[in-house]
Amino acid sequence: MRVEVRDLVLRYGETTALDGVTLSLEPNKIHGLLGRNGSGKTSLLSVLAAFRRQSAGEVRIGGEPVFENTAVTSRISLIRDEGETVDLGTVDDALFFAEWLRPDWDAKFASELLERFALTRKMSVKAMSKGQRSAFGVIIGLAGRAPLTMFDESHLGMDVPSRQAFYDVLLADYMARPRTIILSSHLIEEVSPLLEKVVIIDAGRVVVQEETQALLARGTAITGAAASVDAFTEGLTVLDSRHLGGTKSVLVYGALDEERRRRAEAAGLELGPVAMEDLFVHLTGGPR
Amino acid sequence: MKFPTRLLAANMVFAILLWVGFLLLVGAITAGIAVFGQVSGSVWDPASQLARFYALFTGVALAREYLPMYIAHGQTRRQFGAQAAVTITLFAPFLSVLITLGYLLENVLHGVAGWPQGISRDHLFGSTSEIGLIFAEYAIEFLVWTVAGALMGAGFYRWEGGGVVTIPVGIAMVLVSSGALGTDLRIPFLFLTMLNRLRLDLQESLPLGLAVGLGTFAVGLALAWAIIRDVPLRNRPR
Repeated sequence: MRVEVRDLVLRYGETTALDGVTLSLEPNKIHGLLGRNGSGKTSLLSVLAAFRRQSAGEVRIGGEPVFENTAVTSRISLIRDEGETVDLGTVDDALFFAEWLRPDWDAKFASELLERFALTRKMSVKAMSKGQRSAFGVIIGLAGRAPLTMFDESHLGMDVPSRQAFYDVLLADYMARPRTIILSSHLIEEVSPLLEKVVIIDAGRVVVQEETQALLARGTAITGAAASVDAFTEGLTVLDSRHLGGTKSVLVYGALDEERRRRAEAAGLELGPVAMEDLFVHLTGGPR
Repeated sequence: MKFPTRLLAANMVFAILLWVGFLLLVGAITAGIAVFGQVSGSVWDPASQLARFYALFTGVALAREYLPMYIAHGQTRRQFGAQAAVTITLFAPFLSVLITLGYLLENVLHGVAGWPQGISRDHLFGSTSEIGLIFAEYAIEFLVWTVAGALMGAGFYRWEGGGVVTIPVGIAMVLVSSGALGTDLRIPFLFLTMLNRLRLDLQESLPLGLAVGLGTFAVGLALAWAIIRDVPLRNRPR
């Protein structure tokens, strides 16, 4: 499902959470929604899922407005840490309603996932650990097979092996049944290999919206003799630099053209990729 | 509109389980009274007051648990509102059937044991054998209490502490309907017992109880809908 957002504003009383967000997300891709705490990620996803109505602007999913539009909302799933879909007695109780309310529900897949994440049907959701509860939310989201599926930091409570299992399942299921997926996460390095497109928002505004590879190409790690690195990076935007003896490694922001790359090679400098996290920190204004 | 099969089923199954437990408890209390004293009338009758509060909390749960779940599963508020209304409309008489069955079973028990079966509270019915009136009274009562719970649950879900403004409205609904049915409140909280004095002394009758009960139910539904029609799902404070 294509997601089109134009001039979206969301206010909570005096606070403006989304301030004129405009973006377009292509269907059947995995999009990353990145942003700092309070940047507006949850607010944006809440509006996309019709969890709340926008204050101004337009949201269209699959070409139609979303709020109170059954034809659209029934094809959207947003899984949050709040646990609206899981906080209901036992695992069986929550599945009982998910199966009934979700038009694309895959009960067999849900059973497989329960086994994979070591959850049983008789478990009380309230008695679950944070990780188990997160895993159960993720199961509801995946087995719902909604054409637009969104996870709002819903996997953060899981431990590393469980998160890895989630990424594996998500990717395998997406490959088998392509659909539009939006992943919101703080664990940028963990999720970045999954992402085809990235949206970064900061202070309620879109800072970046582009292909993951194009975003990563905006930064370069330059390593070599300190003097050569300093000379080469003069005039460039330096994100970070590290020394080890006479060797220096610098992260620069901005694409390097062919001429610069030849100069780097001639100077004996090594050029490498930059982690998305470093670009994220730079694009969202550094430490606060 | 999809019929709320599972919403009803979940609530009915839970109600049956509670009812069985409650029946056993009342049976044990009756046995205790018989052993240590004398059974002077129906024990089910005073005990069944608790069922009103169960109806109230069923209404609260509809707004606080099921509404967010419906929306998170891609349903609209309108769909939920319609399903909740149907659920309450069918759940209240179902609960009333369970309570009526309790009276019937107690009639049999007291008949066999030779105990009297008098009632201790004000009712629309005069004896525990007036099954039709018992069912009607409780059905109307549960209808109103459940919708009052849904209204208050919706108010607290939407406005958190500000939802307190819905409490007087809920109490007023209950008072009006109990006045029309000729039942009393006997709420087990000291400060609320004074509400009995506020009771409306209407000339109770089944037609009046039915009309007032259904009217109150409709008003409650309308008010609850006004609260939830565009309610945002809460974000957890971070």
